[in-house]
Amino acid sequence: MENKLEEDDDHEPGPVPPLRLDRFGFLKPEISPEGLTKSRSAFEYDREERRVRKWRKMIGVGGSDWKHYIRRKPHVVKRRIRKGIPDCLRGLVWQLISGSRDLLLMNPGVYEQLVIYETSASELDIIRDISRTFPSHVFFQQRHGPGQRSLYNVLKAYSVFDREVGYVQGMGFLAGLLLLYMSEEDAFWLLVALLKGAVHAPMEGLYQVGLPLVQQYLFQFDQLVKEHLPKLGEHFTQEMINPSMYASQWFITVFSYSFPFHLALRIWDVFLYEGVRIVFKVGVALLKYCHDDLIKLPFEKLIHALRNFPDNAMNPDTLLPLAYSIKVSRGLEETRQEYEKKNGKGGQLPGSEKQLE
Amino acid sequence: MSSSDEEGSGEEYLFKIVIIGDSAVGKSNLLSRYARNEFNAHSKATIGVEFQTQSMEIDGKEVKAQIWDTAGQERFRAVTSAYYRGAVGALIVYDITRKTTFESVGRWLDELKTHSDTTLAMMLVGNKCDLEDIRAVSVEDGRSLAEAEGLFFMETSALDSTNVIKAFELVIQEIYNNVSRKVLNSDTYKAELSVNRVSLVNNGADGSKKTQGYFSCCSG
Repeated sequence: MENKLEEDDDHEPGPVPPLRLDRFGFLKPEISPEGLTKSRSAFEYDREERRVRKWRKMIGVGGSDWKHYIRRKPHVVKRRIRKGIPDCLRGLVWQLISGSRDLLLMNPGVYEQLVIYETSASELDIIRDISRTFPSHVFFQQRHGPGQRSLYNVLKAYSVFDREVGYVQGMGFLAGLLLLYMSEEDAFWLLVALLKGAVHAPMEGLYQVGLPLVQQYLFQFDQLVKEHLPKLGEHFTQEMINPSMYASQWFITVFSYSFPFHLALRIWDVFLYEGVRIVFKVGVALLKYCHDDLIKLPFEKLIHALRNFPDNAMNPDTLLPLAYSIKVSRGLEETRQEYEKKNGKGGQLPGSEKQLE
Repeated sequence: MSSSDEEGSGEEYLFKIVIIGDSAVGKSNLLSRYARNEFNAHSKATIGVEFQTQSMEIDGKEVKAQIWDTAGQERFRAVTSAYYRGAVGALIVYDITRKTTFESVGRWLDELKTHSDTTLAMMLVGNKCDLEDIRAVSVEDGRSLAEAEGLFFMETSALDSTNVIKAFELVIQEIYNNVSRKVLNSDTYKAELSVNRVSLVNNGADGSKKTQGYFSCCSG
């Protein structure tokens, strides 16, 4: 009865906590970065509406038309994704393009089994990192709140699903980002799709013992910088800077660790559709954009600059077009072969040829 | 750029120091407390390596410490151990409220020995000493491990700043001493240093050294 009364009450539902949040739910810093707070003009609002309508038509009800559309007009899909998936459809589209929706449908009940009935050797490690994952986001802030519980469940489930990989720091940022756009079970299967390589090269090598794929990607990135930005590459060599000092996180968390969230989302849109190439492209684009500043800096300032890019460099509408213009396929293929030769391996990483399809 | 134009007085030193220890013992906050006097209760887990520099003056000379903060999870050693090379100082950090982090110290020392290429000034750091209520490693245990391994020892709190500056500065001072000795007597440098360490361990004959070496914020 009392509940009913409360529901019928016309008053505002309780005092709203005085949190200042950006449109993604992150606590606002004192000075908000430019572009996030600007209120949107009517023109922008209309344009957004039109985009959402186009997207809805493209994917159909609950994604029913998606496979058909993507087969007929892959170039249109690619172009639209590169412009950014509308935020209200992001969760659904991510599941469609990553192949996770299919995994979910093929494995009913599996997630529940992993969460409820299995135990993992990584449980304590996961718990320790829960409050250290997106600590400034409202969903993950509350101790033992729904955000933290979901994050724990997804990471624990994965550590049971693949006991060899288990839990590795960095995975929490992937899972956390996904959980802002979909349910626990959906987020889990998307994590599986990424690490096991449902559509693109498997990411699990980023987390396996020895972090083999991190080492390979850093080597490749180093070579790409030398190829695309020879002067800066030379400067890095002289200052003894190598990508492991600044780019490990880029690969391990796909830019979700320390980049502005609105940029991370745009990168993820493309990443899920096109694969890891976009991470290399964005990395080179950042260096290219800041080239003239970076080339003047000595070691310490250089490291600082490489971890704190200026706001204007991280505007998705300038950075991403620059990234798309950078061609990396050939370079990645050559450097991968070089890396494998250097490390004397016949057994190349599973699926690594697939990434360069 | 360097101050070599000013004879004698303008010498500069650059020392590389690494901070290692298990995940979530407070390595990054120790460093941010030292380098920027900041503490963040909700900091993110370190992925890969982070880096800060801080300068201090010794004997009128500028001594710059280049400090590398590494991810603590075992899996990351594959990429972080590369940073031990060239290091001349190390802080091995554990959390006084978690015994397992103390038990890992031996493994971290092995890592250092395997990957570093010179003599290091090393300090064992028991962090989070503000959490006396839930202490799981006694000051005595910390101290005796440090003595057995020939390390300096301190308990710190990055939260309330206890001993943080002291810990870093002591390591930097020790590196400086090592280097000065090296310059003065380069032939016998290593032997002398190891003798020093032994005396520090066994009987504390070098009294001044010993009192300088041990600080604890929580024992009376």
